[in-house]
Amino acid sequence: MLLQSSASSYLPILIQGIMALAFVGITMVITHLVGPKRRTIDKLTPFESGISSVGNARSPFSIKYFLVAILFVLFDVEVIFMYPWAVNFRELGGKGMIEMFVFMGMLLLGFFYVIRKGALDWEK
Amino acid sequence: MTSLIIVSVLAVAVLYLGLFKYKTALLPVSVTGLLAAAAMAAMDWDLEKMYFSEMMLFDNYAVAFSILLILTTLLIFGLSRNYFEKISNNVAEYYALMLFALAGGVVMVSFHNLAMLFIGIEILSISLYVLAGIRRKDPASNEASLKYFLMGAFATGFLLFGTALIYGATGSFNLAAIASSGAFESALFRAGVLLMMVGLSFKVSVAPFHTWTPDVYEGSPGLIAMFMATVVKTAGFAAFLRLFLMAFAEASAFWAITVAILCILTLFAGNITAVFQDRFKRLLAWSSVSHAGYLLLAILAVGFSASSAVLVYTIAYSLASVAAFGIMILVSRARGNDHLDSFNGLARTNPFLAFTLTLAVCSLAGIPLTAGFFGKFYVFKVALAQGYTWLVVLAVINAMIGIYYYFKVIIAMYMKENANAVAIQLNPGFRLVLSIVVFLIFLFGIFPGLIANIL
Repeated sequence: MLLQSSASSYLPILIQGIMALAFVGITMVITHLVGPKRRTIDKLTPFESGISSVGNARSPFSIKYFLVAILFVLFDVEVIFMYPWAVNFRELGGKGMIEMFVFMGMLLLGFFYVIRKGALDWEK
Repeated sequence: MTSLIIVSVLAVAVLYLGLFKYKTALLPVSVTGLLAAAAMAAMDWDLEKMYFSEMMLFDNYAVAFSILLILTTLLIFGLSRNYFEKISNNVAEYYALMLFALAGGVVMVSFHNLAMLFIGIEILSISLYVLAGIRRKDPASNEASLKYFLMGAFATGFLLFGTALIYGATGSFNLAAIASSGAFESALFRAGVLLMMVGLSFKVSVAPFHTWTPDVYEGSPGLIAMFMATVVKTAGFAAFLRLFLMAFAEASAFWAITVAILCILTLFAGNITAVFQDRFKRLLAWSSVSHAGYLLLAILAVGFSASSAVLVYTIAYSLASVAAFGIMILVSRARGNDHLDSFNGLARTNPFLAFTLTLAVCSLAGIPLTAGFFGKFYVFKVALAQGYTWLVVLAVINAMIGIYYYFKVIIAMYMKENANAVAIQLNPGFRLVLSIVVFLIFLFGIFPGLIANIL
């Protein structure tokens, strides 16, 4: 019974989704209608974490940001594989342990290659 | 399986050799490792072993194609001494990426699960996206890489969508389970088959999904284009056939007509466009599109010695392509470009090169006494046995168009003069590889039984 799913069993999720959207929509509409409108220069500037904005966002920046970001994504995604392994750690036993070590070993080889190639040297 | 592990570990080892500046060791280590990998693959013959809870099956089909892929890579490595050094400083990365791509190719010919097919194609493709753009300062190379990446990623989307629909219809990724599921009538399954066909067609440059081929071949370095035309195409077709043979063979009444139409489109698009090319590299790129058309003929005839026909064809095609691309590299390096006029007078300055190239294009065109003739012969034979006479007639017409444009380069070499041409120097690697290729094209052209009865 628990595993049986049909379209009707998703009904609570649908209701919740409608409620969430309705809450956002209704509050936005009501604040526009009810709230007072005082337009000052400070209020009309784009909000940037409380700091007054400087220049255009579309300016060139160091390619190193890109490299660090892509390496972060790479190693971040690899960690996802650790979660199912950790959950099934007992069932997988010694064999699973060795397989995970091989996987982590390959990952470390890649990480060492990245460091040796100087991809993370910010000053170079 | 051991061969796959050797190739993967070899790639990492080569990467690290480059990291610690042992540049002279790169080629010997790669060649030794590949020979070991080929030997280990041969040991798996007739064992039919499953690995990783039926994810991979090393049957004779997988072993034969793995060995073909490894040996072709070996031939390409034989040509690569002093080649990559001229393009960039990161030589080890070339070898490592080609070896990673080869590992992906081995997975593609030995999968027994749709997930492994996807992983194999991705390992192969991602290495190639980098290899295509490895001449970083060259706009054409950048264009090739970007074009290949964008279109390849899109095609992978189709492949994955098809995989998902087939899983939805059959409840399994396993090829044997899909074949025995009996869900062939459902719309979900049929849509899945067509979407997977689109994805794979892109990878092997079947029309109308072939438009990337000439630009990517032209922008990539010559040896990488050679790798794409031989190893990648062989792996792609082996995967294509393996999927349709082991999983979708029962539903062939449904997809056969689609494959037949793709086949006609590919043959005409490839051959007719190749006629109008005046640069040899683009000509070879379009001819590689047309060869995909001939190979599709064999896929139509699944189950009736199609794998044998595809094996013979890919062996012949790989050998001829290695020679043709190799000589294209030599000529364009010595004479500045790969325009057909650059080949003028090659017979007088370099008789050996002219003879080898003649043999290679004869094999590509399917002239008797070369391996390519028997490649076409077996492919046409299996298609005829399945009753596709009209399709074979169209294919023969295309083969005749092929002879016209292949002979343009022979005419340039033998009948046109170039007063200020000087002889091109060959290094020993080129001499050895081209001699082996000449020998094998003749050997398989005269004794086709050596390769025709392997599978």
